[in-house]
Amino acid sequence: MQNVVIAGYARSPFHFASKGQLARVRGDDLAAQVVRGLVERTGVDPADIEDLIVGCAFPEGEQGMNVARLIGLLAELPLSVGGATVNRFCGSSMQSVHMAAGQIALGAGEVFIAAGVESMSRVPMGGYNPMPNAALAAKSAAYMGMGETAENVARQYEISRAMQEQFAVESQRKAGAAQSGGRLSDEIVPITTKAGVIDKDGCLRPETTAEGLAGLKLAFDQNGTVTAGTASPLTDGASAVLVCSEEYAARKGLKPLARILGVAISGCQPETMGLGPIQSSRKALKRAGIEASALDVVELNEAFASQALACIRDLGLRPETVNLDGGAIAIGHPLGATGARIVGKAAALLAREGGRYALATQCIGGGQGIATVLERI
Amino acid sequence: MTTPIERVCVIGAGVMGAGIAAQVANAGVPVLLLDIVKDGPDRSAIARGAVAKMQKTEPASFMSADAARLVTVGNLEDDLEQVAGCQWVVEAIIERLDLKQALYAKLDAVCPPGTAISSNTSTIRLASLLDGMGESFRKRFAITHFFNPPRYMRLLELVVGPNTDAALFDGVADFIDRRLGKSVVRTNDTPGFIANRIGTFWLQHGVNTAIAHKLTVAEADAVMGRPLGVPKTGIFGLLDLIGLDLMPHIARSMTESLAADDPFHDTTRELPFLQRMIGEGYTGRKGKGGFYRLNKGASGREKIKESIGLVTGEYAPTQSVRLPDALSRDLGTLLASNDKFGAYAWSVMSDTLSYAARLVPEIADEIVAVDAAMRLGFNWKRGPFELLDAIGPAKVAARLEQEGRKVPALLRAVGEGTFYRIHEGRPEFFGTDGLYHPVPRQDGVLLLDDVKRGAKPLARNGSASLWDIGEGVACLEFHTKMNALDDKIVALLDKSLTIVGERFRALVIANDGSNFSAGANLGTALFAGNIAAWGEIEKTVAEGQRVFKAMKYAPFPVVAAPAGLALGGGCEVLLHADAIVAHAETYAGLVETGVGLVPGWGGNGEMLTRVAAARGMPKGPMPTVAAVFETISQAKVSKSAAEARAMRILRDSDSIVMNRDRLLFDARAKALSLVEGYKAPEKPEFRLSGQGGRAGLGLAVADFAKRGIATPHDVVVADALAELLSGGDFDIVDIVTEDQLLALERRAFMRLIRTGPTLARIEHMLTTGKPLRN
Repeated sequence: MQNVVIAGYARSPFHFASKGQLARVRGDDLAAQVVRGLVERTGVDPADIEDLIVGCAFPEGEQGMNVARLIGLLAELPLSVGGATVNRFCGSSMQSVHMAAGQIALGAGEVFIAAGVESMSRVPMGGYNPMPNAALAAKSAAYMGMGETAENVARQYEISRAMQEQFAVESQRKAGAAQSGGRLSDEIVPITTKAGVIDKDGCLRPETTAEGLAGLKLAFDQNGTVTAGTASPLTDGASAVLVCSEEYAARKGLKPLARILGVAISGCQPETMGLGPIQSSRKALKRAGIEASALDVVELNEAFASQALACIRDLGLRPETVNLDGGAIAIGHPLGATGARIVGKAAALLAREGGRYALATQCIGGGQGIATVLERI
Repeated sequence: MTTPIERVCVIGAGVMGAGIAAQVANAGVPVLLLDIVKDGPDRSAIARGAVAKMQKTEPASFMSADAARLVTVGNLEDDLEQVAGCQWVVEAIIERLDLKQALYAKLDAVCPPGTAISSNTSTIRLASLLDGMGESFRKRFAITHFFNPPRYMRLLELVVGPNTDAALFDGVADFIDRRLGKSVVRTNDTPGFIANRIGTFWLQHGVNTAIAHKLTVAEADAVMGRPLGVPKTGIFGLLDLIGLDLMPHIARSMTESLAADDPFHDTTRELPFLQRMIGEGYTGRKGKGGFYRLNKGASGREKIKESIGLVTGEYAPTQSVRLPDALSRDLGTLLASNDKFGAYAWSVMSDTLSYAARLVPEIADEIVAVDAAMRLGFNWKRGPFELLDAIGPAKVAARLEQEGRKVPALLRAVGEGTFYRIHEGRPEFFGTDGLYHPVPRQDGVLLLDDVKRGAKPLARNGSASLWDIGEGVACLEFHTKMNALDDKIVALLDKSLTIVGERFRALVIANDGSNFSAGANLGTALFAGNIAAWGEIEKTVAEGQRVFKAMKYAPFPVVAAPAGLALGGGCEVLLHADAIVAHAETYAGLVETGVGLVPGWGGNGEMLTRVAAARGMPKGPMPTVAAVFETISQAKVSKSAAEARAMRILRDSDSIVMNRDRLLFDARAKALSLVEGYKAPEKPEFRLSGQGGRAGLGLAVADFAKRGIATPHDVVVADALAELLSGGDFDIVDIVTEDQLLALERRAFMRLIRTGPTLARIEHMLTTGKPLRN
């Protein structure tokens, strides 16, 4: 079997949906600029790329029509490069990494771009035509709002509002420090918009305090604990990683960041979908042959503070290894783009921080988890 | 030929200046708002701050978000050159002659010839403003005096000088009339012009007399409000609105320049308790309170309305005042009554009306201007001379004489006659020359009141009338309380369709009331519900559906011309018209869910059709259904006609009229424009979202309930609405006809009205005027 490596990572700046600086940029244009940037930065020969696999949670409207192919054309990749759109909701672009790795292991290509995109400004969450199956809706939590699932997790794990707020403050602080320390700029591809070039994240609120958060209104349940401050914001953004065989990287002189050791998917209760990372991480770690205690870097998507805290607790993660540059509460969570971001980020952090093993994992609406274990090269 | 006004500049971003700029923007005209430089990074911070503030305060100054974007802000140092691109400049800076004149000199230098410049001063005379100014400036200058708030108050007093270029200011007056929607009243260059001169006299007299006659503020306002056709704020409530601190300024500016024998001086008294209130910050609604204030009760939750004792100077809970029925019904009886109410009313009004009579022709050439100014500037139902007519001029004169008081010459001159009369079907007024003259109407003004004088309705019942408004067009008028719709209105609409079909070219639905229609008469529905007359209710719903659709498919154009409220069934009338010509201040919405119902007279289907046809709607079966669901389930009401357009109640082809007086004329013109080649609309077919759509809307409602935004009965009502809008049992692949949708609408309506919580909502609305959140 071929070893598969992450040989490059890039993303757009992330901005608040609707009110942010990317609201007037189409998702396909946004992703195309990131793909272009990744190709230029890694120096990969685009003619070698087998396929562009793009994750997107609401692939309709401007993100519809097999947007991956359209992004490839917009990015002026050679016509020989394919394009496939993948939907596993929030896990979509981590799924594109897994698919690329699987294809490489199968010998069905040497190099892939696994990308993700979501313009939550331009295609609403739930899509334009949310039409649930009435019978399923009546008997299951399949369509439950994400906020409510976060409340359920908070209740089940007895995670108080104050604990969630402390976590959110910390995420904002870390992201703010990373931004001001210039540690985010390497991964960001400046995006050209009609209003100028956007090269900085827009969601961060490093000045956030626990007192400030304590004054916010409850966002989902009048008897609950979750607020807008302890949830990831609606975000516009795109991300991409270069996935190739270790042998190809060596042959072409690319600089791989990390090797993929194990991946996994798992399903769970829809009403506590935020717990998805627990089982999927356990499976991926087992496949990689390591214990959670061996992890030096963890990128755990912060859909909500409550579910992130529950996963940290159940997986026995060391908090000082988790989301070193802040998580989605601060940086943002453009659904389809998050998976590639946290895989790329975990790989880049391994290279930067010098540990050996990393985990990237996230929860998925409808009740799933997805995880990727990496090893430093 | 003067240059048309395509861009306006307002200088001074205080409450008035900013409000005037907003109204110009509401008219769709770009406006430059300038104020002095503020030190700091943003040198235009004053004007920018004023616009930002207006975007937050209620009642809103802007009619739409688009309007706010038409305002450009700047400062007088960096942006003065931009004034050259404006055809009309309005000065609304602080009331200081030296500062105003210094500004005028700068404006005169920068503005090209032909630019009109006017002041919004309320206290400085035109002659003073022009003192020492050059000839060219005198030609282009006048006073245009707006009332606060400029969006909502319909009066504009125009004062031109002997050298003013008449054609130039005819153009400005026309712009103010047609585009800004204000009624231009020409006044003479006298202190306080018309409205403030008489209004301040009345207010000050009202305060003094209440103290002298030992009335409470609530008693004084109960007398001086509704019975006289004055807003219920009366004297003291209005002073709270104006601001107690502002009154001494206005009064002083007048006493300083009025002749020594002017009765105005008698009304100006030192009132120590008033000074104390102002000193302590009790300046009215903008301050801690005024003559009235809302105070927290012992529990801290409920608010208690308190009022100040005119003798004690202390606040105490306001005792509600109920005048004897006879007094509140008839003005003559009130004024003749010997009790304290009658004595108060007679004392204040006899002096005020005498004062008004004495002031013609000093402040205005004829009485018509005085009446218009008081109606539009103080929201009186009748102006002073119309009030005198209502009481009887001869009666007033006789009583003044009997009391040894002076009878004004004009009142003496009218003798046994009245100030207004109908002559050969036309209204006439009593001129200062002792002769009657036609009441002037601007071109393009058609008032139903004028039509009705001396004409007989084509058809009539207790709730509605059909009138011939000329040129082959008939007008259906509602005249119930709040113009609420009842079975008689539906019946007369039905009959009107026959009459118009036989003898007219088009139908306009309009009235001169403050509100087009506040919705269906709930009292009847509650009564029927309480005796479980479900069959009767369903018949009423079905009959309304039938008649509204008959109107929609009538072989002639129907135009609805709303102003004020057009709610519930009133909104459904609009939705069934071929065209809507709406006054800019139209507050429309399908509000049925507020009383636990869904629209029952075809409104759902009409909204679905409108929203589906709107530009920019995403494809698929849900966006339309979801948008209509959102509008109806939240009982959204537009805060302007522009917002009603954003809500899709108005289509792109419908029009908005700024001046209320021009509404009927424009509606008739619109109807006539549709006559040639008219074809009734095709029946729509609906592709609805089916069960999946209903489930999706249900999930959204459940989230709202969880967040505490939707109440338990909201969930029930929303489900009935979701079922109906998504097509009930019809599948996504089915075509739903209009008749099938009407049946679904009836079913949802009947399902809801049979529930206790819906009947409780209706009863609560009828007794309190507010929605019950059960």
